[in-house]
Amino acid sequence: MKILIADDEPLARERLSQLVSEIDADYIPVLAANGLEAIEQVNEVEPEVVLMDIRMPGMNGLEAAQHLVKMDNPPAIIFTTAYDEYALQAFETQAVDYLLKPIRKERLEKALSNCGKLNKLQLEQMGQQNPEVAFRTHISAQIRGTILLVAIKDIYCFLADQKYISVKYIKEGVIAETIIEDTLKSLEEEFADDFLRIHRNALIRKNKIEALQKQEDGRFLLKLADMEEGLEVSRRHLSSVRKLMKS
Amino acid sequence: MVFAVVIIGQLLAFVLTLAPLSLDQQRWNDLALISLFIQWNGLLCSSVLCLLRPTLKKYSNQFAAASSYLTLLLVLTLCSELSFYIMEYYQMTEIITAASHWEFLLHNLLIGGIISALALRYFYIQYQWRVKMQAETCTKLQLLQARIRPHFLFNSMNTIASLTRTNPEVAERITEDLAELFRTLFRDDQQMIPWASELQLSERYIDIEKQRLGERLEIIWQIDAIPVDAMVPSLLLQPLLENAIFHGIEPEINGGTIKVIGAMNNNQLTITLQNTNSKNLVHRQGNKMALANIRERLSSHFPGNAAIECREQDDVYYVKLTLPYISQQIDEER
Repeated sequence: MKILIADDEPLARERLSQLVSEIDADYIPVLAANGLEAIEQVNEVEPEVVLMDIRMPGMNGLEAAQHLVKMDNPPAIIFTTAYDEYALQAFETQAVDYLLKPIRKERLEKALSNCGKLNKLQLEQMGQQNPEVAFRTHISAQIRGTILLVAIKDIYCFLADQKYISVKYIKEGVIAETIIEDTLKSLEEEFADDFLRIHRNALIRKNKIEALQKQEDGRFLLKLADMEEGLEVSRRHLSSVRKLMKS
Repeated sequence: MVFAVVIIGQLLAFVLTLAPLSLDQQRWNDLALISLFIQWNGLLCSSVLCLLRPTLKKYSNQFAAASSYLTLLLVLTLCSELSFYIMEYYQMTEIITAASHWEFLLHNLLIGGIISALALRYFYIQYQWRVKMQAETCTKLQLLQARIRPHFLFNSMNTIASLTRTNPEVAERITEDLAELFRTLFRDDQQMIPWASELQLSERYIDIEKQRLGERLEIIWQIDAIPVDAMVPSLLLQPLLENAIFHGIEPEINGGTIKVIGAMNNNQLTITLQNTNSKNLVHRQGNKMALANIRERLSSHFPGNAAIECREQDDVYYVKLTLPYISQQIDEER
């Protein structure tokens, strides 16, 4: 069984990986230093269990777990933490498995032998109880069983399309596109600081606005940096776009 | 509280009985009657106030006190009226003939008004004392947390647990460092120590954190300008380093550098701490307690002569400490 250990502290990783190998010679520890690496490793080696530290730079454990549970066949996740007042409460109320550092070998053994799968609801509610770590730095899409992460800062716009949402983002200097399952409404609420709704089906990054063009037929198109085609601005959202462009 | 009401009521009954100079058989009979009246009143008042508690809770203390007082007087009036009619009905004339109806009521209201005012005051003071006690315990705990984050303690324990297997010698050293640090933390912080000691303590702290964060933590000391015998409040530097690590190093994948620069001009010491301020810190809840605590201690040791300033410029966070140079020798002579 492959066990992924995600922790930003080298000594903490080292100890856990020793403990894991001691518990069972068939357990193979795999290491990651933050949430981003953890997801890369999950894509690559497909571990059965992830021991996930909550506080990590780059992407914290709670967010990484949120991306992971969206997979069709997600690994079991056990959180580890040294001391988190709020998180501990959240663990208790959501019956999520967690280990307190320094972790006891017996406790780890027990957790590994009967770890259940986390679900989305548990995580969401943990997030509500942990404002400090409950923000997303990335959105994730699942492509052929692996997770594709897109940093929020690289995203230009979200476009609603029937059932899905298409995300346009910049990748190595060119605009790329991927599809996620979400609603524009919840994305709009979550990223209200950086994104603006311009149409029933479009949410765009505020600092990428280049120009607002009036078409011959009276419609307004908004031009975003680096993107060829303009996006339609609805009458209802026109004033907020103008207000933003003036400021 | 009800017990206190009963005791106060009974004492009042005794006082009223003993007040006239003559003590004949009749007085002791009166005591029984007076006690009955007072206890009846006291308990009735207490229950009415208990019933009103949920309502009064919503208002300010002043309003609650005033309305409780008026309620007490109202209950007292009703009781007096009721007892007057009862006594009239049973023709217990020896008591009521002495006074007219209105005199009886006025008498009761005046005595009751004074005593219930005193009783309310007594309960108010008791309440204030309890609130103060709670607040004090709370601040003490917060003070300790301002000096050290619980996170640090448990992370260090974890580091030691790991080192015990791989590198027992370093584990031993870190344990000693940790003990030293906590000894200082638990000590009364009202004292001054030489800069050399504060520096040593800070270096021990950094030693612990370096084990934990590895290459992500880099620190540059440029502090030769500060005389080793300069007296500084204990735990002046360590909390600032802790803040720098918490806000500048931990949230960054590649860590960062902390720079400590010391200078001395005209007997004035300046110590500046610099750290790259993580952009990921927006959501990290800060701990303003540490800064407030240092500011307070600086001003109590060097009134009007020391300062702590913070500013942020181009993603670098600066904390600047300014304090007068007082050598160990001068400090001892003072």
